[in-house]
Amino acid sequence: MDSPSSFEHQLGTLLPRLRRFAHALSRDAADADDLTQSTLERALRSKWQWQPGTRLDSWAYRIMRNLWIDTARSRSRKAKLEAPPEEASVVGTDPRGAMDAAIDLGRMMAAMQHLPDDQREVVALILIEGFGYREVCEMLDLPMGTVSSRLVRGRMRLLAMVGEQ
Amino acid sequence: MTIADERFFAWLDGELPPEEAASVETEVARSPELTRAAQEHRAMQAQLKAAFDTIAEAPVPQGLPAANVINFAADQRRRGSRRWGSSMQWAAIAATLALGVLTGTMISPLRSGPVDVRDGKLYAAADLNDALDKELASAPAAGAPVSIGITFRDQSGAICRTFTNAQSSGLACRDGERWQLRGLFAAPEGQRSAYRMAGSADPNLAALVDSTMAGDPLDAAEERAAKAGKWR
Repeated sequence: MDSPSSFEHQLGTLLPRLRRFAHALSRDAADADDLTQSTLERALRSKWQWQPGTRLDSWAYRIMRNLWIDTARSRSRKAKLEAPPEEASVVGTDPRGAMDAAIDLGRMMAAMQHLPDDQREVVALILIEGFGYREVCEMLDLPMGTVSSRLVRGRMRLLAMVGEQ
Repeated sequence: MTIADERFFAWLDGELPPEEAASVETEVARSPELTRAAQEHRAMQAQLKAAFDTIAEAPVPQGLPAANVINFAADQRRRGSRRWGSSMQWAAIAATLALGVLTGTMISPLRSGPVDVRDGKLYAAADLNDALDKELASAPAAGAPVSIGITFRDQSGAICRTFTNAQSSGLACRDGERWQLRGLFAAPEGQRSAYRMAGSADPNLAALVDSTMAGDPLDAAEERAAKAGKWR
């Protein structure tokens, strides 16, 4: 059961990466850990649906992304309507002063929150998690053109918010 | 956004084939504006990655019960927490089954078909029956036409097993000496290979299993023992 090749063990080694992805999607650390927790629960319960020989990481990321959509998408749509994200409104006035890692994480999470959901997930998967374009297309069931245009828009917007001048 | 932007970023992300990458690289080198954009975006990504990497490098907080996934699985077993089986879900499953997604090839007048009809009940036959009788999910036979997913007991204590072949997936439970089909779901037309590649099971089957299963799936040793006991 806990041999290095077991499902549980492999899922355990993915945990730090899944938490990172959860932080990139979520509003704050508490939401991110809730999302991580429910992803693990769902993955354990759905263990039998994973086909050995296919990538466990893509499978687990996909579970997290779907759970995030279920719980957060409606809320964030509403938030978008109420407060259309304005570039540079989140990050304070002195990006150069905020290079300390802890502060930087808070800043980056805030900036990610100002991306529309569909751009945020693509930015997180490609720029933070390091997946290739094609892997992300498969994971999200999207055509290449859609993934690549969301990535362009998302990263331009991020640069406008957090980039050094 | 223009195609040119997408091409520029695909180059930046190392997603272009070598010849095309070389040509974009030349373009960028010639343009101070593009060179600056490349630097800014690289710096931004490095900053973004460094910020979020602090999470991946940090120890998983104590407050997260799943910190040890294995212990967590054990905890969950103790708590017996299953959130499925709501009446809504039952209704959805019943509707799915009533629609009848049996494919024509599954019920065949020939004895070699994988499904037999007896007294109005559907039973596994031929290859499917053999696979359900003999295969172990923990030791899959190479090249077998039917593969077994999980084995578990339903609320009445009968052994149930999920199976998949090229066209469909389903659930069969022990009824005396035979395997009665509880559900059979065809993979959507045209999505079969992508479906299998994605490593996911049919959501209808997943819902059916969740509502049928009592306790947890059998592990490898329990599965072997159940086979030795003729799946009783």
